[in-house]
Amino acid sequence: MSATPLLELRGIDKSFGPVQVLRNVALSAYPGEVTALVGDNGAGKSTLVKCISGIHPTDAGEFVFDGRPVSINNPREAAGLGIEVVYQDLALCDNLDIVQNMFLGREKRSGIVLDEPTMEQMAAETLAGLSVRTVKSLRQHVSSLSGGQRQTVAIAKAVLWNSRLVILDEPTAALGVAQTAQVLELVRRLADNGLAVVLISHNMNDVFAVSDRIAALYLGQMVAQVRTTDITHAQVVELITAGRSGGLGLAADTGANGNGAPADSTTGGVS
Amino acid sequence: MRVGPSQDEIRRQNLGALLRHVHVHGATTRAELTNTLGLNRSTIGALTADLAAAGLVTEGAPKETGRAGRPSLVVRPESERIFAYAYSIEVDRLRAARVGLGGAVLDRRELDRPRGLTAAEAAPLLAGAVKEMRNALPEGAVCVGAGVAVCGMVRRDDGLVRLGPTTGWVDEPIGTALGAELGVDVPVTVGNVADVAAFAEHARGVAAGCDNVIYLYGDVGVGAGIIAGGRRLTGHGGYSGEVGHMVVARDGVRCECGNRGCWETEIGEHALLRAAGRSDARGREAMLAVFDAAGRGDARAQTAVRQAGDWLGFGLANLVNIFNPEMVIFGGTMRDLYLAAAAQVRSRLNSNGLPACLEHVRLRTPKLGEDAALIGAAELAFERLLADPLDVG
Repeated sequence: MSATPLLELRGIDKSFGPVQVLRNVALSAYPGEVTALVGDNGAGKSTLVKCISGIHPTDAGEFVFDGRPVSINNPREAAGLGIEVVYQDLALCDNLDIVQNMFLGREKRSGIVLDEPTMEQMAAETLAGLSVRTVKSLRQHVSSLSGGQRQTVAIAKAVLWNSRLVILDEPTAALGVAQTAQVLELVRRLADNGLAVVLISHNMNDVFAVSDRIAALYLGQMVAQVRTTDITHAQVVELITAGRSGGLGLAADTGANGNGAPADSTTGGVS
Repeated sequence: MRVGPSQDEIRRQNLGALLRHVHVHGATTRAELTNTLGLNRSTIGALTADLAAAGLVTEGAPKETGRAGRPSLVVRPESERIFAYAYSIEVDRLRAARVGLGGAVLDRRELDRPRGLTAAEAAPLLAGAVKEMRNALPEGAVCVGAGVAVCGMVRRDDGLVRLGPTTGWVDEPIGTALGAELGVDVPVTVGNVADVAAFAEHARGVAAGCDNVIYLYGDVGVGAGIIAGGRRLTGHGGYSGEVGHMVVARDGVRCECGNRGCWETEIGEHALLRAAGRSDARGREAMLAVFDAAGRGDARAQTAVRQAGDWLGFGLANLVNIFNPEMVIFGGTMRDLYLAAAAQVRSRLNSNGLPACLEHVRLRTPKLGEDAALIGAAELAFERLLADPLDVG
């Protein structure tokens, strides 16, 4: 539980034409912690992630990574900082095996040929480091894996590159109960291994099961970022649906039209 | 009059410390051992030589380090050769395993256990599994002891199972029965399943490095293995940690122990199955089926899971307030209940727990999974070896 965030966003604005999608958004992600990013459909979660990963340029605001101000203009720069994103559709190739998928586009070479032994060893070490025991062979085609195993491979791919911040977009959507449990344990283990993790989820159980902090987006505004020990299920649901809950979130008089400044957006206390 | 520990005692202590380090952390270079144990290089060399002569460790060249200078030798535990038998007596099954020094499960057998099977009847079944494993032993393998994890209250002095409400055992001498069946002169140590699982997770699992831990184990009933200040909390007779019988409702449901309103009557197997309208069903599979049904949208199952999750948070808040742990681990069916109802568990914990006690508590699931009971049982057996390596090996 580190006191200084690995990634800190301040005052992020983003518009698509006349539609302002993100409004003065602040977000902090801490090493060793899972920060859950919650919000209703259209609240701006995916847009925010795409800004962090360099897919969308932001209109205003600053990024501080590891204490230094940085600008992230494209996905390569994000990867260079150690930011990896696991998207909902996983972006795995069915016709390739696990090792090939994990190194896709970033293959290790020895001379002019691919260095298969090294890649296989690195993949095995990464999976072992995450205590993954469900995968039988690293040379299995991804098409033969279950949904939970695919998610595991996608996550392992993201941590293979000495990444420091991993963003997971709805990793348990479309999984059964047993597989959801395994993926949640894996997400927790990533953070326990020292990474900063941002988890996007609609499922309150998943959020409460693994997160250390909860950041709630409401109509493009970050209405609260609080520690998971300081909030209840009902309060989070209120923040998502109404933008405020008791002393948390938007101030009462401005909440409805969404013009007010977000109250208590960075500190963790519940009044 | 004693003036201080003798040379022999210091040596035994150091041998134990070195062996414990490679047992818990795996292969370690001599240089690292010198640093972590705070002994000088020649002492480490001599201790390693003694342990190697006794066949407990091997020394070998490390993999390429890529650094200049003569590489330090790596000390490895003899995981394949030195082993302990581990048994786990659970409500619905019996497990036996061979666990090597270093904590790896080398071989295992699993049997169904009809509910109501007594210790005298269980011992031959487990002994049969051990005989099978013994036939497959590699040459030169040495057994240093046996450990048993059992769902029940275990007397610390002699391993007598005093009361296993969920197994139906009263005063069952399982340790003696197993010792007699095995017919070997290795001592059998008995421990409660939650206690030994806590021990294993603390030594080499998710709680490594944490000194205040509660391991909550659930099946039909619920028990806790508690580590306070880095030590296992056993209580005077060894019976502590029966948190499932903490009374949470004054006129609650009758519990198998005879009282009313015990915590496990709200979060255990019977409670969940009853609330889900499946009172006829039994066992772990039936419980998992309820979680699965809840995940698929069965309204009654969802209500049952949420209610049980709320009760789990309720009792958990009490435990967190009393023990101020830095980590709570959910094992057995509590893992599945926690992951399926975390929103309710945490919400209740957050509202009932004292803010100061909640500040640093981490809720986790086991890293060793179901193997924790077996590995922990083996740890009980290894304790003797680690206390005096040259005497046992």
